[in-house]
Amino acid sequence: MATSWAIRKQAEPSADALSLASLSAEARALWRLRYQRFRWALRIVLAESRLRLALIAVLSLVLWGVIFWLCLDGFHFLRAAVAHTPTHDQIVHHVFGMYLLALMLMLTISSGILLYGMLFRGPDIAFLLTLPVSTERVFLHKFQEAVWLSSWAFVLLSSPMFVAYGLAAQSPWYYYAVLVPFLAAFSYIPAAVGAMACLVVVRWFPGARMLFLAGVIVVLLAGGAWVVRGLSSTSPGDLLTPNWFQSILHRLRFSQHRMLPSWWVSMGILEASQPKQPAPWTTRPPWAESLLFLGLTISNALFFRQVAGAAGGRWYRSAYSRLHTQQHVSRPGFLPRLGWVAPIRLLRQLPPQLAAAADRFLLRLPIGSSATRLLVVKDFRLFRRDPVQWSQFLVFFGLVLFYFLHMRPFSYDIHHATWVNMVSFLNLSVVGLLLSTFTTRFVFPTISLEGRRFWLLGLLPLRREQILWSKFIYAFGGSILPCSLLVLLSDWKLGISPLIMGIHQLTAVLLALGLSGISVGLGAKMPNFRETSPARIAAGFGGTLCLVLSALYIVLVVALTALPSHFWLAFQTGQAAWSPGPFGLWEQSIRFWMLLGIGCSVLLGLAAAVIPMRMGFRAFHQMEF
Amino acid sequence: MKRSTPTPMVEFSHVRRCFGQTTAVDDLSLAIQRGEVFAFLGPNGAGKTTTIKMMVGLLHPSQGAIQVGGWDVVRHPRQAAQQIGYVPDEPFLYDKLTGREFLEFVARIRGMSAEETQQRIARQAEVFELTDFLDRLTETYSHGMKQRVVFASVLLHDPPLLVADEPMVGLDPKSVRLVKDLMRAHAAQGKTVFISTHTLALAEEIADRIGIIHRGRLIFVGSLAQMHQEGLMQDKNLEEFFLQLTDGQGRTPKLDASETFSAAGEEAAASSVVPPSADLPTSKEG
Ligand SMILES: Nc1ncnc2c1ncn2[C@@H]1O[C@H](COP(=O)(O)OP(=O)(O)O)[C@@H](O)[C@H]1O
Ligand SMILES: [Mg+2]
Repeated sequence: MATSWAIRKQAEPSADALSLASLSAEARALWRLRYQRFRWALRIVLAESRLRLALIAVLSLVLWGVIFWLCLDGFHFLRAAVAHTPTHDQIVHHVFGMYLLALMLMLTISSGILLYGMLFRGPDIAFLLTLPVSTERVFLHKFQEAVWLSSWAFVLLSSPMFVAYGLAAQSPWYYYAVLVPFLAAFSYIPAAVGAMACLVVVRWFPGARMLFLAGVIVVLLAGGAWVVRGLSSTSPGDLLTPNWFQSILHRLRFSQHRMLPSWWVSMGILEASQPKQPAPWTTRPPWAESLLFLGLTISNALFFRQVAGAAGGRWYRSAYSRLHTQQHVSRPGFLPRLGWVAPIRLLRQLPPQLAAAADRFLLRLPIGSSATRLLVVKDFRLFRRDPVQWSQFLVFFGLVLFYFLHMRPFSYDIHHATWVNMVSFLNLSVVGLLLSTFTTRFVFPTISLEGRRFWLLGLLPLRREQILWSKFIYAFGGSILPCSLLVLLSDWKLGISPLIMGIHQLTAVLLALGLSGISVGLGAKMPNFRETSPARIAAGFGGTLCLVLSALYIVLVVALTALPSHFWLAFQTGQAAWSPGPFGLWEQSIRFWMLLGIGCSVLLGLAAAVIPMRMGFRAFHQMEF
Repeated sequence: MKRSTPTPMVEFSHVRRCFGQTTAVDDLSLAIQRGEVFAFLGPNGAGKTTTIKMMVGLLHPSQGAIQVGGWDVVRHPRQAAQQIGYVPDEPFLYDKLTGREFLEFVARIRGMSAEETQQRIARQAEVFELTDFLDRLTETYSHGMKQRVVFASVLLHDPPLLVADEPMVGLDPKSVRLVKDLMRAHAAQGKTVFISTHTLALAEEIADRIGIIHRGRLIFVGSLAQMHQEGLMQDKNLEEFFLQLTDGQGRTPKLDASETFSAAGEEAAASSVVPPSADLPTSKEG
């Protein structure tokens, strides 16, 4: 740095202005920019929101701890269950291989999507591309950020598992030392593949990018379903027997392909975890074997990064130009062209009429005041007129529906009542999670948005409470119907007993109540008046907290009702022995536990609805708009 | 590296840009000399921004080629960009950065030494009166402050070519005056200014030459005097000619005209010069 400055120091400013910065100076300037922006952001967070930071840190630590504990327990259990060491190692190898393979696919997709946003839609891109920076440098700058953004969470989530394994296998110190370079190098490879895929799709098929993404996701889901189906079609009778293990491993052998980076990493990590003596198939000590795999992974990571950089330098600008000179296509795609077909015309006229009827119906409902109902109808209209947004929701909804409708083929051979019961409660929580994304994305931001418009609503004869109540009614009404119907469908498909069905319906109501309360209350307690886009408000801290709390709430409510019913079923069907277990369970007490669990979850549901709403009311009252 | 002076600063040859079926810029051939202030005049949607985005290397031409300072903008984007200072229609600043850090970044990217950077930032801070807020985060700036920092960043390296896409929109009267003076001064140093505008008053006031673009086609290039000479306007003035142009095409002429007029009115009020069109009826009543 210093030498090039010294050389140019004497030159006259205006005459010298045209000499370009060196490629390395360019890279340094961009790194410095990143550092300065990060430092400011950090400084602001530390100054203004220590509490939030602490909360996030504590939540992450708790999450880390829970995963660590579960994994440690799992590895100990495996060690105890499978005494035969080679079989044990083989199983762990497959687990790691599958895990890393799945991770690799997810990283590829997530970095591809991230890079699309950063390279082609980022607010600073038009600025950077008009500076005299080499195209490859701009590309690499964004690529580095995408690698970091897409992989840190995955790496953080994997670290408890690997650390737990190290402890369970009593690995030497260098096992922990090689983990970091292995995971870092590993995340580069899928990120580079995702980056190149993104580049190629935008450069040559800019109009088909969503189609391409949808295709990839469908293929992956189909692949995942195929694997799960293969795994679950073993009969549960010989669970955990050597035969069972062998057949499972056989089905997973595709994860052991020698060309897969996930295999190299799982090999390298497992080698490092071995005690000092060499494995039977090699004379090298395990640490050397591990280093070899590390070298292989790192050199591939560097190679892929290089190729991605070169591709970026070559095609990024023209891809950008291609994408931004596309004709804007009107949204409903093929529908207008088919408009002459009478049934389709009818179909297109139906939704508006249905919607108008729904509005009229909502306005007549005997809930709340007429002003509250008007607000509900307004929110419903805004939601309807935003197809880009609810279509995402519809996709999720459709996926869950599809899964529920096709549940039988996956599980017909699993006929244990308790097993079915577990699946039914699992489905219940899936529906709950789906709902929580709905409330976080579509309810939570509306309170902030309302705040922005408050000067207008302030002119209406409305009390502030009415606004929050209308949001609550909107959230509850919007979530209870799909939630209840989905749960009913799942129960019907699984052939659940009426009692449990009733419990499920009660839980669904509790879920809708609590999730509505959390999203409305938090929305009022932590409003964000700076953003105008609901998606960005939902992605902010308040939205994230809303999602996390909602997820916690779902897990708690479902666990409180599911566990007692599970034991009750187990005793009913006589599968579990009638012995007073560690908790002294017998028939009477099971009834008691069941009632207690349901009572607790009802209380919890009411608390989740009432407490955030009260907090929200207080905050909303004091709010200055 | 540098070519001999006779080459024009900017040269469009048969440039065309389509957006799907729409042709935004059609067969544009135009050369702009050094030391010239060129106003690119046209109503909204005429293709001004598209032309400028091609010139600064953001969009590639569908056909034809553009050279800036002798460099082809598609094949040598870095070298071409080094000749240009570009003020986009929607200027960008990093939120989490102070004005000074932003200027330092631009200076480094443009290859300036540390001392040079400081000198030039000091100079720009003086010209644009940035000293009071330069060390604050840009997210706290008002619109006018942001605009001034953007102009400072663009002029930091004394670009041979200053490109500004409708820069006067949203500027306060004092800044409008400042920017106009700056452009004249820039051209007086033998450098080139390319400015797009949809208001005739501005073009008349500062431009040496005017190009009128309408629906992607360049329909006139020349000085004010030439426009008179060629009898383009006869006894009407340029504003009427421009209005007629936008009128004749049948596409909601009233709306186009009113937009042109109200904006022109504001800008005229902002500058101290009374536009020649002051006697025309304005559309304020509509
Ligand atoms: N991304 C785009 N997609 C489709 N058409 C566009 C796009 N950008 C501009 N256009 C069209 O190109 C024409 C010229 O636009 P533009 O260059 O922005 O005009 P101006 O800057 O003169 O107001 C307009 O008709 C506009 O609708
Ligand atoms: Mg424009």
